[in-house]
Amino acid sequence: MNAVEIKNLTTVLNGIEVIKNINLTLEQGKFLGIVGPNGCGKTTLLRTIIGSATPLSGSVTVFGMTPKEAVKAHIFGYLPQNQNIINNFPARSMDVVLMGLYGQLGLFRWPTKKHKQKAYEMLDILGMSGLGNATFSKLSGGQKQRISIARALINNPKLLILDEPSTGIDMVGQTDFYQLLKELQNQIGLSIIMVSHDIGAITTFVDEIACINKTLYYHGNPFGALDRQVLEKLYGRKVSLVTHSDCCSQCDKNKHE
Amino acid sequence: MTAAANAIKINMNEYINAAKEALSMSFIQRALISGIMLGIFSGIISVFIVLRRISFLGSGISHAAFGGVAIGFVTGINPIFTALAYSILTAIGIEQISAKGKVSEDTAIGIFFASSMALGIVLIGLSTSYNVDLHGYLFGSILAITHSDMTATIAMSLILTTVIILITKELHFITFNEELAYSSGIRVRLIKFIFITSMAIAIVTGIKLVGVILVSALLVIPGATANLITNSLFKMIIASSFITLFSIISGISISYLFNLAPGGTIVLIMSACFAAAYFLRKRY
Ligand SMILES: Nc1ncnc2c1ncn2[C@@H]1O[C@H](COP(=O)(O)OP(=O)(O)OP(=O)(O)O)[C@@H](O)[C@H]1O
Ligand SMILES: [Mg+2]
Repeated sequence: MNAVEIKNLTTVLNGIEVIKNINLTLEQGKFLGIVGPNGCGKTTLLRTIIGSATPLSGSVTVFGMTPKEAVKAHIFGYLPQNQNIINNFPARSMDVVLMGLYGQLGLFRWPTKKHKQKAYEMLDILGMSGLGNATFSKLSGGQKQRISIARALINNPKLLILDEPSTGIDMVGQTDFYQLLKELQNQIGLSIIMVSHDIGAITTFVDEIACINKTLYYHGNPFGALDRQVLEKLYGRKVSLVTHSDCCSQCDKNKHE
Repeated sequence: MTAAANAIKINMNEYINAAKEALSMSFIQRALISGIMLGIFSGIISVFIVLRRISFLGSGISHAAFGGVAIGFVTGINPIFTALAYSILTAIGIEQISAKGKVSEDTAIGIFFASSMALGIVLIGLSTSYNVDLHGYLFGSILAITHSDMTATIAMSLILTTVIILITKELHFITFNEELAYSSGIRVRLIKFIFITSMAIAIVTGIKLVGVILVSALLVIPGATANLITNSLFKMIIASSFITLFSIISGISISYLFNLAPGGTIVLIMSACFAAAYFLRKRY
């Protein structure tokens, strides 16, 4: 079964065509990277997939369901690009991670000890176990991002949607994070869609890449996207890239420091 | 003992006697009971109003309720019911219009706010009977609360407090981030509808106590004060309810003893609580 099938998708926001006629399919268990210039519609595409933006025409199906049905079936783990949390918001990191379970728990049911244990494990995996009781809104950008990733993963989603997840995360953390995604993909067959500006880094980890600028410019093998012509068309000018290979000496060096 | 101290002592005794006497009067009892019941409930929702940053929506609806009150005057229906229906519809209208994205929420509120007040003024000008208690609706009439008003306030408060407590987890998440709450399967629209409706009911109930002009203070100041003192949702809810109760009880007492306007006194005490919290809070 396909994790996501997007057919002739056009999304209009405020009278402006933000996404035009995109066709894209992601097989279950695959890791898709999405790249493209600022304002080209990446976030809008993700929001259309989860159903928080409504398409003008075309369709999106997620595991054979409409986005709204998929939401009700708790298919998604979502990490938005901006969270805009107010200063002094009353929630500890632990509470934020637990929020990831609220939809599944349903009305009138509260997290139990077991759920809290799970939240603690997630924080631990993301290297944030020491901050469980810290007020979320007072943490640094990168710490918030790690905790939000824990929140997106806690409900065992079938499809993880990440909008620039590495924003604010340090270099060591980024490699660890991509590695974690890879592990989840291999172990539990998680399907992943990730928007990132770091084309070089994601080519190392993703199975497929989609280059988007309002419409789809390229979809396929990540290394195909490194083709100068594809990138020039996408960004409208010459782009120089730093690529990572599977054994990036830089990352390995940093990892154990 | 000096003469001055003696005078104060006599004065205090006078006040204590006056307070004792007041407490035995049934209209004061009704005012206090209604105030306490409304206070618990409005204290809780104030927290979410402040956290969702919809204070302006709260004051917009309070003033819009005036249009609803006027409809009641003209049609002869109990103004509380028309105000309630009108407030709920206004709240939903504002949410709908701003959700479309063409008009921002504060603009939508500003427009509804002003046009509802205008409607109220025109309608009241039309209504020939001047025996309506316009003053009471504008400035509150807490000491004129009837037995059935009190019963309605108690029932409303018990039901809505329970409802809000039952959906606290969802409200917390939606307040944190609406889109995230949606994506995890929370029924955002339903929860928001329940919340907005509860807010409208609290506003209309609060109109009896402090009036159209001041009722929004009840929904904003306690939550804002609580947010200054603590970073825990549970403690915020407790603090906000406590501040509301304290202000209502002391406001009713002080206004009775010194013959002040009760609505204004209650809100001034709340503002003093906010100022105290603002200046005394720990500076990290
Ligand atoms: N809610 C909205 N209402 C109106 N227009 C919007 C809205 N959200 C986004 N847009 C517009 O749609 C276009 C695409 O925005 P989007 O956020 O999808 O870009 P993006 O590819 O994610 O950019 P970035 O790399 O900066 O995150 C932009 O031109 C933006 O102005
Ligand atoms: Mg974006």
